[in-house]
This record gives sequence, structure tokens and C-alpha cells, in this order.
Amino acid sequence: MVMAMTLNQLVLRSMRKNIKSYYLYVFALVFSVSLYYSFVTLQYNPAIVNEIGTGRSSAALKAASYLLLFIVTFFVLYANKLFMNRRSKEIGLYQLVGMSKSLVARLIAIENIILWFSAIVIGVLVGLLTSRIFVMILLKIVEKDAFVELSFSIEALMMTVVVFSVLLLIVILQTAIRIKRVTLLALITTTAVADERVKKFNAFQMFLGFVGLISIGYGYYLSTTILDNLNVTPNVLLFKMVSILALTVGGTYFVFRFSVALILNFVRKSKKGLMSIQDVLSLSTIMHRMKANAMSLTTITVLSASTLAILTFTYISYYSADSVAMEAVPYDYIMYEDTGFELVEEFDKEGIQYTRYDIDLLAVPADVRPLLVKEAALNKTISTELGVQVVSLKAIQNKLPNLHLQEGEGYILGYNSLSAENIRIEAQKSIQFNTSAGEEEIFIKEVTEDLLLPNYHYYGFTVVVADSYFQKLLHDPLTKNQKVVGMELKEENQLIKAQEVFEANKVSVEMPIPGNDLATNTVSVESQENYRLNMLDSLGMTIFISGFLGLAFLIATGSILYFKQMSEADEEKGTYNILRKMGFTTNEIMSGIRRKQLFNFGFPLIIGLAHSYFAVKSGWVLFGTELVAPLLITMGVYIVLYSIFSILSAGYYRKVVEDAL
Amino acid sequence: MVILRGRKIKKVFGKKSNTQEVLKDIDIEVREGEFVGIMGPSGSGKTTLLNVLASIDKVTSGIIEINNNNLQKMKEQKLSKFRREQLGFIFQDYNLLDTLTVKENIYLPLSVGKTPKTVSEKKIKEITDLLGINDILNKYPSEISGGQKQRTSAARALVGNPSIVFADEPTGALDSKSATALLSNLEKINKEKKVTIMMVTHDSVAASFCSRVLFLKDGQIYSELYKGDKDRKQFFQEIMNTQGVLSGDGYDA
Repeated sequence: MVMAMTLNQLVLRSMRKNIKSYYLYVFALVFSVSLYYSFVTLQYNPAIVNEIGTGRSSAALKAASYLLLFIVTFFVLYANKLFMNRRSKEIGLYQLVGMSKSLVARLIAIENIILWFSAIVIGVLVGLLTSRIFVMILLKIVEKDAFVELSFSIEALMMTVVVFSVLLLIVILQTAIRIKRVTLLALITTTAVADERVKKFNAFQMFLGFVGLISIGYGYYLSTTILDNLNVTPNVLLFKMVSILALTVGGTYFVFRFSVALILNFVRKSKKGLMSIQDVLSLSTIMHRMKANAMSLTTITVLSASTLAILTFTYISYYSADSVAMEAVPYDYIMYEDTGFELVEEFDKEGIQYTRYDIDLLAVPADVRPLLVKEAALNKTISTELGVQVVSLKAIQNKLPNLHLQEGEGYILGYNSLSAENIRIEAQKSIQFNTSAGEEEIFIKEVTEDLLLPNYHYYGFTVVVADSYFQKLLHDPLTKNQKVVGMELKEENQLIKAQEVFEANKVSVEMPIPGNDLATNTVSVESQENYRLNMLDSLGMTIFISGFLGLAFLIATGSILYFKQMSEADEEKGTYNILRKMGFTTNEIMSGIRRKQLFNFGFPLIIGLAHSYFAVKSGWVLFGTELVAPLLITMGVYIVLYSIFSILSAGYYRKVVEDAL
Repeated sequence: MVILRGRKIKKVFGKKSNTQEVLKDIDIEVREGEFVGIMGPSGSGKTTLLNVLASIDKVTSGIIEINNNNLQKMKEQKLSKFRREQLGFIFQDYNLLDTLTVKENIYLPLSVGKTPKTVSEKKIKEITDLLGINDILNKYPSEISGGQKQRTSAARALVGNPSIVFADEPTGALDSKSATALLSNLEKINKEKKVTIMMVTHDSVAASFCSRVLFLKDGQIYSELYKGDKDRKQFFQEIMNTQGVLSGDGYDA
């Protein structure tokens, strides 16, 4: 035996032996470094700087990088904690053979320094590659073509090194404090944690479990009422939001901490001691671990819920870009008054096929109060005196051919989700026109979302009336006549050519704002495609960043669950050994474990989905016009990615069970 | 009737250059209703022998038959089923599941088969009455004594009416009073219910409860003692004597 083995040699030797238990920790480190580095690099990527500009977007990137730092810190510290738990025996052994605490701390520190710096090198290399992919994704989102080069940024590297060195320092300090505080005995027995025994449940715990369910329910209820009244002061709104958050988060913890074990113990008792092998491996294990797991399951649930909500909100705005553009500019091209007809001539010259809609518009002063639904009518704060746009049936016949009206009847078009939130009206009631002949009632047969006019020039909705009545209104001095021409391309594939023509023939016109005689709006000939691209431009960065952070959150939470399951599997190896000896097959044991996994992964997921659903439901109108599709797509993708971690952990369990005998 | 038959059992550990022959061509036979003890110094291969006989470990070569089932010919799946239905196990460190109550632990071997619940309840009651643990059925293992744990473990091994029970140092972690109580119970069950038991031990007192004791040395059966009509004290003396001859250099018990 070599007597004078230096500390460094000892470290290297133990690292070589422990390489298996390191790989997870190293993975966590490399993942964090590459994520952070590739994200910071984005700020300095020439393609981003050129295409999206530096000012606003780099501020957004910077803000996001702080958030990312938070995720990375959380993740790395957690991974370190698990890593240290796994090695507590080894650390105890070092002390048992007579090494001083400070020597052990130094040993671990040296080891960490080696691990971290190799992780930084690998992580930066990986990040270099992934950042290029991220830039390409970002440019794809905003629909811009640019050549993306592999760019290496010294600034980003410096930042990464500084950030992770600081984190490393924290980890070393944390470990040293831990080693200093813990007694030798406790260190050696850490892995054999005494599970909490569910002995008796008192009424108080039962009550707390119930409180958890109630507060989640009440939080959900509050969330559905949050947009009911937009006229409240910001303070009230903030208070409401904080209460919802506190109720759902607190409720989630209570459910995990008290309700779950309570219900499971009840089920266990009902079996009167005759439990199947599946119950043994799911029910009783979950029940006994609930106290220790409640906090982390709550964290994972809440993180999943917020990630999902943010992702859904952003995806809603992205997904809605088309329909928002459609509402803002309901035709491929729109011209106002007599301006912009050069475009028509150019289209003819270039052979671009289109359908033309000429719409005569009348701004008529009106009162919508009689149209309001009951509850809204009681609210005195809503202003109901509006300038309503009126068109004749004939003018829209070729766009909406199925309408039939008699004099005194009308249709309402363009009543969309946002106007529905502000003024809620219903059909089979009357609207009141204020003409020079006095107040005239028009009976509204139907209210639809069909689009006729750009909704941002003409707020609210459009009323269609019979042709004869329209002629009468036309001659009324209280009304104002306007002209709108819409053009719809016949061939979708001529869009690019049409856009080129449009760009070359931009003109604008002064247009009076409806309901306001003095002010005018500068309005150009408008293109739906242009509007959509402008929206993507301003949204692109937000979408990219939240997508990126969402993914980082997902991977971090998923990995933490996976790590936790790995150490749980290791801790339960003894159980599997006993069962295998007694003659239970790997498959029988796995069927019980799968049930447990279903709970460990499924329960936080389902509660997280429910939380995010209510969060999204309460505020989605502020982000876009489409709810169902983006919500389902986001949730679906999230579930699929999340399941990968449960499949991975099931694989690990199988390995442990197979090796148990 | 012969319950267990082993022919030329060989077990080699390690790889090519660094192998160690732990069991060297052992022949063994156990008849129905026997209570067989296996003794021998540390490293003589007693636990390895028990493990391969109990199908927990695989032999390098040789044949093992239990109830005319050739263990070597069975696949993993079938072997597990066989183990569950025909064998019972008692281990030194009890091997109870901490998350289950005493009753739930005992029920485990019955949980997969198609035993009706009322029959299971009856079987559990019968065996726990016999072992004197029917008043702790709803306690968790952490709440009971070592002796009670080992009796729970024995109840679990016996509840499924196995052809043979394997016990690996069942008294190793018990004080002498609990050990004697457990062994008396096993002896009683062996005699009354004709359960075949095979027990590894290095404790001569424990071995004196057996009807036959095998002595292992360096992977081979060195000698064999039958209790016959002798009482326990005489048999114990005989075991001690054989051990003395066997040891020569440092017997560990």
C-alpha cells in the first residue's frame, strides 16, 4: 500500500470509481451551462442584431437571461443536493477512517472544481451548436430568411464563466457547511431515511386536507371572475390576483401534504391487510413518502402550471396573429375613400387575380342600451352612445349572400370575443338610431362574428340594414358617408408578387375618426399580410423567449422528478430484492411501480394542467382571439415531453429491479 | 419421498484469470419432513449453497431438482412462479417491507395467486396463532421487537404451504432467548405440519434443533450427523465435537 497518497490522487481515484453516480450531476451541469451560454450568446449573434435590431430585443433577452439564471441556479443546487445525498455514506466513511472535516470538505471542493470546469468546457461547446439552432428557430418564428453563422462570443463566454464560478463557490460553501454541521452517525445513515409512519390521522389533518381542496376550488372560482369587471382599481385587481395565487399554491401543498396520504391510508385500511403486489408498491410507498415529497411535488406542480400558462399565452398570441390580422384587415388589401387605386391598376397590369368589394359606409349615431344582455344593462358605467357603422344589404350581398332583411330589421356583424368582453349584446332586441327624424328602432335578427370592416378603425360592430332604409339614412344630414374598397386575392400563390406591388405603391390618406368630427387618422392602403408580419416582428422575440424559458423550466422540473425517482428507486432496492427472492417476477413488480409512477408524474401534471387551464381561461382574451387550439396544442406537446421523463425513470426502475436479485 | 435433490453442484465466482471455486461437486438429498442444518466456517460456501438450492443464484454446473422440477431447465419467469408457490424464505435480517404492516407482510406470498380472501384470512390466522404474533398484526415492523420480526418473517415463509423452507442464519440477529423461542416454533411446525426446512447457521445451539446437520468445508460436504433418537443436549455435544475436528485452524463460531 502506498502510504503517501496525495489528496489530489485520492480525489482522482475516487472520481474514477464513482463515475456512475456522477453522470447525472455532470449532465445537470452541462445542460445548465449550455442552456445559459447559448442563450447569452444570442444577444451577440450578428444575425439577431441585424434582423431584429438591438434596442428593445436585447433588453428582453437580458431580462430573460436573469430568469434563466434563476432556473439554472435552482436546478444546479438541487442536483448538488441529491448528489451529496447519494454520497453521504462515502463522506461518512472518509471521516470514519480519520480524515478531518475540513480535509473532506477540501476533497469534495477539489472534486467539484474539476467537475464544474469540465462541465463548463463541454457545456460551452454544446451551447455553441445549440445557439445556432436557437437563432434559426427565432428567425423562422418571425418569418425572416437570413444566413446563420456559427458565432463565438467572448462576452458570452466571460459571462458564463463568471456566473458558474459564483455558483460553484456557493455549492462548495453549501457542501462545506453541510459537512461541518452533520454528525458522523447521521451522515452514514442518511440514505436509510426513516420513512414517516402514517400511524393515526387526527381530525385536524383531515380538516387541513379538506381546506386544501376547498381553497383550490375557490381560487379557480375567483380566477373566472377576474375579468368580469375591468373598471376596478389596479390595487383591487392585484389583490385578487395575489389571492388566487396564494389559494391555489397553498391549496396544492395542503392537498399533497394531507389529503393524498389521508385518502391512500383510507384505501389501504379498506383492504384489511390483504393488499395486492401493485398496491404494496404504489399505495403504501406513496403514502409513506408523502411528507417528504409534498414540498417538491408542490414546487413541480406550480412550476409546471406557470410554465404551461406562459407558454399557452404566448402561443395564443402567435397562433392568433393570423386571425388578429384578419380582424384588423379583413381583406387581403383595403383602400379607403378614393386613395390607392394605383394598386388596382398595378394588379391588373401584373395579372394578379382578385375579387373587389366596394362598400358604402354610413356612420350613424346610435344607442345600444336596449341591445345589452340583462346583467350588462344594469351596469351604468358602460357608455352606450356610439357611432355605429351601417351598410346596406346590397353592398355586402356578394360577401355574405345568405342574408335577407326587411325594412326595420338589421344584422350585426363583427361582434368578436373582445367586443363581447366590453359590451355584451344579444339578438332579438332592438338598436336605436338617432336620426333627424327622431329615434328609430331597428330590430336585430342576428348577431354574428362575420368580418366586414377593419376593427381598429371601426370599433365595435357593423349593422346591416335593408337597401331602402339605407338610402333614407344616406340623405340624413346626421350621418356621414365613407367608402371602403376591399380586395381579396383569388390565387393564394400570387401573394408574394402582390406584396411586392403593394410595397412599391404605398399611399396614405387622412380619414375622419368615427364619432369624432375634429380628429383624423392617417390611414394607408393596407395589406393583411403586412399587418401579420408586423405583428410577428413585435411578438417574435417574446414568443421565442418564453418558448425557450418554458423549455428550460420543463427540462429542469422533469429532470428533478427523474432524479428524485432515481434516488427513490435506489432506496427501494432492498424491497425489490426481498420481493424477487420471494418469487415475484420483474414484470409483476414493474406493474406496481408503473402505478406509482403514474401518480408521481401524473398527479402533479394533472393538477398543473388544471391550474394553467384556469389561469389561461381567466386572461386569454388579452393575448389573442383563439383559445382552444393553442391551449390543446401547448398542453399536448407539454404532456408528451413530460412523459419522456416518466418513461426514462421507469427504465431506471426496471434496471434496479432486474439487478436487485 | 425426496423433496430436494442436488447432483454435482458446482459454483465458480469471478472471471477467467481470477476464479474461485466455491462449491465443488456437491451431492445432496433432502427428504420430506426433514429439518436440515448446514454448518461450516466462514467462506465454506454455506450461504452460496443455500442460494443455489433456493434458485436465487445459478449454479455453474450440476443439477438441482425440487419436487421433480429441474431448476436449471426453468426460465426466469417460470422460476419466479416456482419460487413463489413452492418455496419459503427466512433471512437473518428479517427482510420485511417497512412500509407494510405485519399482516400485509404475511399476506404478500398469497397476494398474486388466486387464493380467495376468506381462505387467506384463515391461513394467516392459523400461522400467526401458531407463532404467537396475532396481537401485532396491525403494527409496522419498526414498532415490534427483533424476535417478533423474525416470527413475522417465518409466518410469511410458511403461509403459502411451501414444499420447503430455506432459512439463512435466522437467529443471527436475535438474543438467545428469542432465538430459542423461534427455533422451538420451527421445530414444532416441522414436526406437526411436516414442513421441510433447510437452515444455514454457524450456531451449534441452533443446529441442535435440526434432525440432520451437514458440515461444509472448502466447498465440499465434510461430514453429516443424524439426530436420531438422541436428545438435544447429546446432539449439541456431537455437533461441537465435529466442529472441533473440522476447525483445526480458527473456526469462527
